[in-house]
Amino acid sequence: MSETSNRVLLIEDNPGDADLVRLRLVESKPTVDVSCVRRLSEGLASLSENPPSVILLDLNLPDSQGAETFRKLLEKAPGVPIVILSGQNDEALAVKALHQGVQDYLVKGAITTGELDRAMRYAVERQALQRTLEMSRKQQLEFKNQFLSHVSHELRTPLTCIHQYVSILLDGLAGDMTIEQREHLGTVLKSVNQLGAMVRDLLEGSRAESGKLRIERRCVSIAELIRLAVAMMQATAREKGVGMEIGVDNTLPFVHGDPDRILEVLINLLDNAIKFTPADGAVTVQACQVPTDSDFVCVSVVDTGCGIKPEARALIFERLYQDPNAVDNNRKGLGLGLFIAKELVRLHGGRMWVASEPGSGSTFSFTLPFYSLAKLLAPVITQENRLRDAIVLVRMDLRPRSKPPRGNWKETCQRSLEILERCVYLDKDLVLPPMSRSGPEQTFFVVASTDLNRAEIMMTRIRGQIGNLAELSANGEFEISAVPVPLPDPSAGHSLPQQVQEVADRVTEMAHATLSCS
Amino acid sequence: MASHKILIVDDDPDLRQALRLRLRANHYETVNAVDGYSAIAQAYKEQPNLILLDLGLPAGDGFVVLDRLQRDDKLSSIPVVVLTARDPQGNEQRALQAGAAAFFQKPADNAELLDVIRATLSQADAGLPS
Repeated sequence: MSETSNRVLLIEDNPGDADLVRLRLVESKPTVDVSCVRRLSEGLASLSENPPSVILLDLNLPDSQGAETFRKLLEKAPGVPIVILSGQNDEALAVKALHQGVQDYLVKGAITTGELDRAMRYAVERQALQRTLEMSRKQQLEFKNQFLSHVSHELRTPLTCIHQYVSILLDGLAGDMTIEQREHLGTVLKSVNQLGAMVRDLLEGSRAESGKLRIERRCVSIAELIRLAVAMMQATAREKGVGMEIGVDNTLPFVHGDPDRILEVLINLLDNAIKFTPADGAVTVQACQVPTDSDFVCVSVVDTGCGIKPEARALIFERLYQDPNAVDNNRKGLGLGLFIAKELVRLHGGRMWVASEPGSGSTFSFTLPFYSLAKLLAPVITQENRLRDAIVLVRMDLRPRSKPPRGNWKETCQRSLEILERCVYLDKDLVLPPMSRSGPEQTFFVVASTDLNRAEIMMTRIRGQIGNLAELSANGEFEISAVPVPLPDPSAGHSLPQQVQEVADRVTEMAHATLSCS
Repeated sequence: MASHKILIVDDDPDLRQALRLRLRANHYETVNAVDGYSAIAQAYKEQPNLILLDLGLPAGDGFVVLDRLQRDDKLSSIPVVVLTARDPQGNEQRALQAGAAAFFQKPADNAELLDVIRATLSQADAGLPS
């Protein structure tokens, strides 16, 4: 047996089988260190202190049976090779085990000492090989990200120069120009902007691929974002003679999402829709509740363009896909826009798809979750199927010392929020998504599953950390306080979801009340 | 009121020239620096009202410059607007934390950049540290 498989964890409840395996192992290699446990829970516990080089696993244990046994083990120790020693020759189970990451499946009665030894050695080697492969894949991805980051930086410098000088000419800072000259330069500027967008997509596309796109969720009005996106694209549409319409239910609740990113998705879809719609056509944006799932809004961008062939529909969200039949007077771009948009929607917990008939236009749709305080609160304020004993609402106010605020006040507030998020317990406290306010004052709320005494400890921690934030102490002040949230009467006999909803409603009421009187 | 003086720090001569033209057209006086070292030297000598700072610089990058400015009592009150080709993810937060008043990625929208410069200068004029 190789040195690498010297420490063996044997999880086996039958003492006879365990002794036999131990004997065989020692026979092949006298220095082998075998520790034997009888229950899965003991095996799982021993992993954290001293991970073995290989695990020999019986599937049917007193506290776990069948596939569940290796699943739990793989989850706890994905890096340790597992060899199953089963009592039954179950081909289907064996295949399932190997697919999920188990290294080998042996039948107890049917193996010799040499075979067991070899199986363990191979398991260790294979696992090491897999790890190396996985690492090299990650390194490659990381290298690509770094490379693209470097490339986009280098491309931006000359691009900026072109942009600057063209706008200097266009703005008449270098003397008068004829109308024709201005038109030509306008085209140059438009192309420069396209190039800039492509450089950006290059980096964003690479991030989307490696799961490094970030979103910052808030409570936002989707109707407002749609109006904003349509307003931003109005000039492009008008230039092409394409009409734009909005069909949005104004009573739609807020969504839980990143406003900048949602706007990016909308702009991308609108830009595509306008591009593929001929003059006198129309692009319509609609939004409504998903009929089959009231937790989501569905936003659709409908165009009267050339439509998409069924074979292209399957590929259109793929990275680098470009429509081979795109009208040639339209620039194609990098083929990353929809890929990034779909990934952004996925990060929000929604999905994106397209419906289209060639010749009669396309409809791109995506879903986003509605903002539901009850849903965010449920895992935090409940425990073992009932409400927690005490819940308080902690409130932090940030006020700039001068008007308008000094420094980058928005950024200071954002940093304070991040500190706040670090100071709470994720499993029982919830920092509410920031609410938009008109003035520079910012108020953040935390719903904490705790009583006032312990909330005081949490607030002391927050005060200490926020107090260290130099930019805040230089430009503003903060105040933090807590009030208990009245809990619903348990004798009313309401179900748990109803009770959570009641708490959510009360929290909303309290937050709004404190905001409107301040 | 005398016109404001802006120190342009960028290692690309063409871009420096373009920024100079743009700022002068908006009635700002401009002075130049080509690297981190001369940025600090110029800041001392010229006492500008604002510094327009690139991050990727030879002889002390933009973060070194920000750090030096912050630590120097004679320079720490000069507001800094960062204008860089670097990625905002990872750099924007860091620059603002290091004392920059605003962050722009190149190529920046001129109208927006000028708005922020104007607002930052008027804040500094009101005697508020950036």
